Amino acid sequence: MLILVIVVLILGGFELFEGMKLTQSRPILPKTVGMWTGPDSPQIVTADNIFDYMDGAGELYLGYRFDHIEVYEYRAQYQPEILVELYFMKTSDDAFGLLSLDWGGEPVELDPASQKENGDRGSNWPYALYGEGLLRLWSDDIYARVMASQETSESREAVLELSRSITKDRKNPSPPELMGRLPDSFEPNWELRRDRASYFRSHLVLNSLYYLGHENMLELDLTTEGVAAPYEKKDSSGGSARFQFLYVNYAESVEAKEALSHFHRVYLPEHSFPEQSDDSQKVVNIFPIEDGWLGYRLKENTLAFVFECPDQETVRTILKQIE
Amino acid sequence: MTRRDFLRGTLGTTLGASLVGSKFLTAGGMTRSRRGSDSSLVTIVRDKDAMDAGNTVNTNVLRAMLDDILIKVTGKTTPEQAWLSLVTPDDTIGLVPTPHLNPTHQEVVDAVRSSLIEAGIPEDKILEAQGGSDKPRACTALIGLPGLKAHWLTGIGTVMKLYILYSGNPRNYHDEDSAKLGEIWNYPFVKGKTKLVLVDALHPLCDKGPQPDPRYKWPYNGLIAGTDPVAVETVCLRIIQEKRKAMRGEDWPLSPPPICVEAADKIYGLGTSNWENIKVEHYGWDQDLLLG
Repeated sequence: MLILVIVVLILGGFELFEGMKLTQSRPILPKTVGMWTGPDSPQIVTADNIFDYMDGAGELYLGYRFDHIEVYEYRAQYQPEILVELYFMKTSDDAFGLLSLDWGGEPVELDPASQKENGDRGSNWPYALYGEGLLRLWSDDIYARVMASQETSESREAVLELSRSITKDRKNPSPPELMGRLPDSFEPNWELRRDRASYFRSHLVLNSLYYLGHENMLELDLTTEGVAAPYEKKDSSGGSARFQFLYVNYAESVEAKEALSHFHRVYLPEHSFPEQSDDSQKVVNIFPIEDGWLGYRLKENTLAFVFECPDQETVRTILKQIE
Repeated sequence: MTRRDFLRGTLGTTLGASLVGSKFLTAGGMTRSRRGSDSSLVTIVRDKDAMDAGNTVNTNVLRAMLDDILIKVTGKTTPEQAWLSLVTPDDTIGLVPTPHLNPTHQEVVDAVRSSLIEAGIPEDKILEAQGGSDKPRACTALIGLPGLKAHWLTGIGTVMKLYILYSGNPRNYHDEDSAKLGEIWNYPFVKGKTKLVLVDALHPLCDKGPQPDPRYKWPYNGLIAGTDPVAVETVCLRIIQEKRKAMRGEDWPLSPPPICVEAADKIYGLGTSNWENIKVEHYGWDQDLLLG
């Protein structure tokens, strides 16, 4: 009995120890950075008052799994104000999604010694991007914006120092698994537009990336996740062709099927929704419409779409390559 | 026309049908400019010295631009006459700036206020009228002072979106209902009160946000004005779209599309969104006008 108790305590201790190791570090922002001084405590913004804080922009953050925002204003005499916004999201994927909406800016390595875990989740994606006074970063379940109201050499250094303090001792998990559904290329020679590859959950966000229609015809919500990106192929004359790729993951197969049915009713009203054969979990269809060829594949709980494709054979080839 | 355009058209048709007979739809409320009934005049005045390298507004230059644009919009010979052709000393005048995401420069609001006072409008008859519905109810005339910007829920968030807080529930005008922004302009306590739309285009924002990103702001150093709000919005939209194309070197369409502009014309009768029916006059600095 004593041995059993000791074993339980040891195992419990290990669990506690491991748990402590895994506990994520909360960012500790400095009171002063360079000439700037921050507040004693941050302003807290929740889903209840997010619209008071940022007007309609709040819809974006509620379109992901949002928890709260901490806002810090750093001030210095005769210097531009620096605003720090820490968006605490419920998962790392959601924080990544916010950064993925715009890959523009200069990639910044805030913590060169840290282990990054991009692994097989598609291409290596930056963790922090800087441009003209604004630094945006993804650090596990935090998305952050650190912005100087005016860029100077001093404010740039302060923005970088504040950003380093946010990411210090924090995990750098992999990008969402679903990003792996965006390969760097599809055969033959269709290249991913990395600058337009995004992770989303809501139809509002999807419409800001690729407009389908104002109705939520793919029945997206916080239980779904999707990735979207254009692919391009250069031709010998210097021109290029493009199609739009979209991949959505639903919690259940039945939801994916219902979403496709809804999409059909709204987007392809002239085509009836094909019945799924009993012996197959996969449905593939291709249609010519006004702006090119459209194809989709329903497989289990996932939907993949190819829009604006130049020809039928390309759609067929792309859909065959989707994992 | 693409399928996605068609879906926009369906939305417009649906909205139009649902509004037939609406008390808000009668008589439109559009004001034609001095160009007459066939076209709407939109005037742009720019000065490359309106802001310095640090984007600080030069208030003297700004005031000269304001005087100039008032004269050009109204066809009068002085700013005082211009104001008095739009409002009277008996009016209670509400100034309506953009409050969030690239807000209107306070210098623009202050310049308009000073100019009105110099025209003989009593200071206590000039109110700041951004906010709830009590604000326009207290006014007999409104001067729209929006900041030029794109917007992630409405495509463009400049003129038509300016009165969204008057609705009392701005979320009702997001998503597909952003097409209905024009209906706010036809609310009984708003309709017909807008005497001038003067857009702060000093430092516009050409991407949709939803929060300001300095990489997408640029010094246009301009004011844009007219009495037809939809025509002014249409010109603003052209500038935003041209800037996006120039910035990326490829088509970079606003997404979602700015359906509120066309709806303001075709459903709510607030003015014209047809480029052919808009006369654009520009004065001053003409580099990168971005009018296509």
